[in-house]
Amino acid sequence: MVDVHGVSYAVKGAPILRDVSVRFRPNKLNVLLGPNGAGKSTLLKIATGLLSPTAGEVRYRLPDGARTLGTLSAAALARTRAVLSQHVDVAFPLDVEDVVLMGRYPHYGRTPRARDREIVERALDQVGMLDFRARAYPTLSGGEQQKVQLARVLAQIWNADAPDDAPRTPKALFLDEPTASLDVHYQLHLLEIARALREVDCTVIAVLHDLNVALQYGDAFVLLDGGRVALETDDAAAIPRELLERVFRVRADRAVDGETGETFWRFRL
Amino acid sequence: MRREHARIYVALVVLLAVALLLSASVGAFTYTPARIATLASQALGLAPATAADALDRNVFIQLRLPRVLLAGLTGAVLGVSGTLMQGLFRNPIVEPGLAGTSAGAAFGAAFVFVFGSTAFTRPLGTLAVPVLAFAGAFGATMLVYRLSTAFGKVHVFTLLLAGIAVNAVCNAGTGFLSYVARDPQARNITFWNLGTFTTADWRGVTLVAVCFALCFGWALRAGKALNTLMLGEDEATYLGVDPRRLVMRLLVANTLMVAVATAMVGVIAFVGLVIPHALRMLRSSDYTFLLPASALLGALVMEIVDVVARLVIPPAELPIGIITAVVGAPVFLAILLRQTRQGGAWLQG
Repeated sequence: MVDVHGVSYAVKGAPILRDVSVRFRPNKLNVLLGPNGAGKSTLLKIATGLLSPTAGEVRYRLPDGARTLGTLSAAALARTRAVLSQHVDVAFPLDVEDVVLMGRYPHYGRTPRARDREIVERALDQVGMLDFRARAYPTLSGGEQQKVQLARVLAQIWNADAPDDAPRTPKALFLDEPTASLDVHYQLHLLEIARALREVDCTVIAVLHDLNVALQYGDAFVLLDGGRVALETDDAAAIPRELLERVFRVRADRAVDGETGETFWRFRL
Repeated sequence: MRREHARIYVALVVLLAVALLLSASVGAFTYTPARIATLASQALGLAPATAADALDRNVFIQLRLPRVLLAGLTGAVLGVSGTLMQGLFRNPIVEPGLAGTSAGAAFGAAFVFVFGSTAFTRPLGTLAVPVLAFAGAFGATMLVYRLSTAFGKVHVFTLLLAGIAVNAVCNAGTGFLSYVARDPQARNITFWNLGTFTTADWRGVTLVAVCFALCFGWALRAGKALNTLMLGEDEATYLGVDPRRLVMRLLVANTLMVAVATAMVGVIAFVGLVIPHALRMLRSSDYTFLLPASALLGALVMEIVDVVARLVIPPAELPIGIITAVVGAPVFLAILLRQTRQGGAWLQG
C-alpha cells in the first residue's frame, strides 16, 4: 500500500534521512522503531505527504495503480490516509461530535449525509466515547481527547460495513507515538483497534516508543538508526540483541513470560 | 443544518427585522412604521407621490434609509471579519482593530483625504479612498500575521505585541497626515477615526453591499476548512486543506470588505471581537454556524448601537466608535484574563 523509495531528507544541509527505502506490509500493523532523532517522525511525515522529501519518492498502491504522492490531489489523499498525532489541542468550544465529523469533511460537500453522521456515531462507539458526543472537547481529559481524535481518524478512513458490498478501497492509518499521553489500559485498547483495521483493508504504520508493546502488537518492524534503515523484518524474534543494544545504547535481556510463554525484553543502562 | 442552529438563525433574523424597523423610525425625524410604509411605497412608485410628503420622503430615502442599511452592512462585515480573523489566527482575541486591519485602512484613507488631489490618487477617482484603504489594511494585516506566526504557532503575546506595534505605526502615519492637513481635512480624519454613519449615501451602501456579498460568499465556502484549522495546521493538511492557500485567500477577502467598510464609515473597534465571542458562548465554534450567525448578530448589534448614538445627546450624535469601545473593551479584557488564567493551551494555541 505505502512504498518509500530512496527517500532522503535534509534540513539546512543536515541529513535527517539518508536513502531510506521501505515497503510497508499491506493490511498489517507496521511499526517504526528507533531511538530519539533516528528520523522516525520525519519518515512518517514524508510518508503521509506532509513533508516533501529532498530526494526519492513515496508511492501509494491504489486500485487504479501506483500513484506518487505529488500526483494525488489533497482531497483524494485525505480520503485514503489518516494521521493520529500525539496530541491535538483545540482552544475553542467545540462539541466532541463536531470534532469527529471533521474526519468526514473530505467525503462530503456543504452538508454531511446521513451516512457521514452514522459513521461518526460508530467511530465514537468503537473508541468507547459515544456517551461524550455532546460534550465540549476542551473540557475532556488528555486521554479522552486522544480517544476522540482516534475516532476522528477512524471516521476519515472508515472502511467497515461498506454499503451494498461495494469493493473496499485500500486505506492507510499513520500513528505518531499515539500512546504518549495514555495509561496502559488505553494504550493496549488503541493498539487493539489499530490491529483490527487489518481486517478492513487498512495498512497501519505506527511510531511506537515502548519496544515490548511494539513487538507484542506489530506484524512488521522497521528499525531506523541515524536516518538509515538498520533492520526490516516480519519476525519479532529475529531482532538481534546486539543490534538493539547498539542502536538504543542499553543492555538488553530476553525474558520469557511464565504464563503465556511470550518473550519480552528487559532493558538496563 | 442542525435544529439548534436553525433556531438561533430564526431568532436573529426576527430580532434584526425589529432592529431595522426601530433604526428606521427614530432620530431627528421620527417615522412611524405606517409612515415608513407610505413613504417607501411612494418612492417605489407603488403609490402616487404627493408634494406634501416630498421633504419627508427625501429625508427618509436619501438620508435615513442608506444610514440604516450601511449600519447593518458594516455590522455584518465586522462580525464576519472578526470570526474569520479568529479562525485564521486560531485565537479568540483577534479582530480587525487589533490585527492592524482597521488602522491600516484608516491610514490609507487619510492619505487620500490629505493628498486627494495629487496625480497619484486622481486616476482612481471616487474609488481612491477604498482602494488605498485596502492597500493599507492588507499591508498592516499581513505584517501582523507574519510576525505572530513567525514560529509556526500563533502565540498570543507575539500577536498582541505585533498588533500594538503595527497599529502604532499606522496611527502615527494618520496622526502625521492630520497634522499637516488643512483644517477641514483634519477634522474629517478625526471625526472619521471614531466611526460615523452620518455620511451614509446610496453609493457607499452599494459599494459595501457588493464587497460584503462577494467576500461573505467566498468565506462561507471555507467554513469546513476553518474548522479543521482549529486542530492545527498539520491536522488541517491531513484532512486535505492547504492552510497557506486558505489563509491567503481569506486574508484578502476579509481585508477587502473591512477596508471598504472602513473607507465609508471610519474605524469601529471591538464589534469584530464581541460578536463571535458571544456566539461561541451561546452555541459552538463551528464555523459553518459562526459565519452566517455573526453576519446576522453583527448587523443587529450595529443597528442598536446606531440608535443609541442618535438618542444619547440630541440633537448631536455620539461617534459609533466611542460606544463600541466602551462596551467592547471590558469584554476584550475579560476574554484575555480568562485566556491567561487557563494557561498553556490558550496561550500557545
